[in-house]
Amino acid sequence: MNAQLPAIEIENLHYSYGHAEAVHNLNLRVKPGRCYGLFGRNGAGKTTTMKCLLNLLRPQRGQVRVFGLDPTKHEVAVKRRLAYVPDQVAFYPWMTIRETLDYLASFREHWNPTIEQELLDRFRLDSAKQTSALSKGQRTQVALIAAVCPEPELLVLDEPTSGLDPIVRRKFIETVIGAYQESSPGNRTIFVSTHLITEFEGLIDEFTIMDAGQAVLSLSADEARDRYRKIRARFAESIPELDLSAALHVRRVGRELELVANGGGPALIEALKSHQPESLTTESLTLEEIFVATLKA
Amino acid sequence: MILQINYKSGKPVYLQVVDQIKAAAASGALQPGEALPFIRPLAEELRVNRNTIAKAYSELENLGVIETVPGKGCFLKENHSPLRKDVRRKMLIEEIDQAIVQAHHLLISRDEFLNLVHQRMDALETKRRANGGAGEE
Repeated sequence: MNAQLPAIEIENLHYSYGHAEAVHNLNLRVKPGRCYGLFGRNGAGKTTTMKCLLNLLRPQRGQVRVFGLDPTKHEVAVKRRLAYVPDQVAFYPWMTIRETLDYLASFREHWNPTIEQELLDRFRLDSAKQTSALSKGQRTQVALIAAVCPEPELLVLDEPTSGLDPIVRRKFIETVIGAYQESSPGNRTIFVSTHLITEFEGLIDEFTIMDAGQAVLSLSADEARDRYRKIRARFAESIPELDLSAALHVRRVGRELELVANGGGPALIEALKSHQPESLTTESLTLEEIFVATLKA
Repeated sequence: MILQINYKSGKPVYLQVVDQIKAAAASGALQPGEALPFIRPLAEELRVNRNTIAKAYSELENLGVIETVPGKGCFLKENHSPLRKDVRRKMLIEEIDQAIVQAHHLLISRDEFLNLVHQRMDALETKRRANGGAGEE
């Protein structure tokens, strides 16, 4: 097996529903062992992109590779090595949790019963309970157990925590960090789409922000937080005349000035300092703030 | 030892972990021979990627701050830097130069700056004593 091969590679992907273009010329590459976030508003094209990886949709143009394989030609080989948690989880309503997990395990070559028990306990799920009696949060938890137990190389999560309460969301993310990455963490890749960015902040290594089907920003999380800065300055008299064209956003309130910079932070700070402000502070934007700033620009 | 990640600091997350453990070692909050948290529970608690913690620990190991005992975990080492004295001095000089540039821009005089250095070293010393450490030799 080639360790250098990307877990996911998307090149010039296009997909339209009739005349409505859902994904337009999307490119991205996910290295093995990384956690990659796909951020976008509702309808940005995230789910369509994920469905192309799983051969639930066929790319109309461009190509998609998972572990170097084309999912339309090697669907079984691809699906053997990944697990998918959709935003709407559906099970056979007449089955219990136990029956559901056994049924899903029957499709898998490998299933880790220790992790299964650990997670059933952690989520306090009664495996004799019918899936029709489960809350949305519990259904997502069962889906997560079913995704983690085969210990797949790739975990594809589509808006996994939307509509869940904060406690369930927390446990979900802890499980992805803990149980999923437990064995061979360097070989456990996560591809997650979400608009609840704050919760995934610490998990995300790299991300792409999508808007109207297109990638508008792709960066590593650390680099993004280094580049995007909020700078606040207050002046004794009034805000001096300054060239602020390097700033992404400028806000003036009385004697106070607030800038959002993308990469030009240090130069702007120097320019502000030369006018001797009363106070000058700077902080990085969080990924969610970067998301908002990028889509507002 | 409680670690805290601040995403607004602009510092890479793994480096925040490295710096906080170095600070805990300097203040005596973490004593030589004491075990560091295991990677998985720490990653879960901070809700950061395991690889981030693993990277921080391997950086600390490279710096000679901690050692890994296979099957047992990571432990704080006695304070012996593996680096040569002149290399260590050079690393510190870079940091001091930055602080001096900051001091210039913040209109902090030379005497004020040197006073502050003494104050901060005393503060660390006090913390070490409170943590039961022997203080600086």
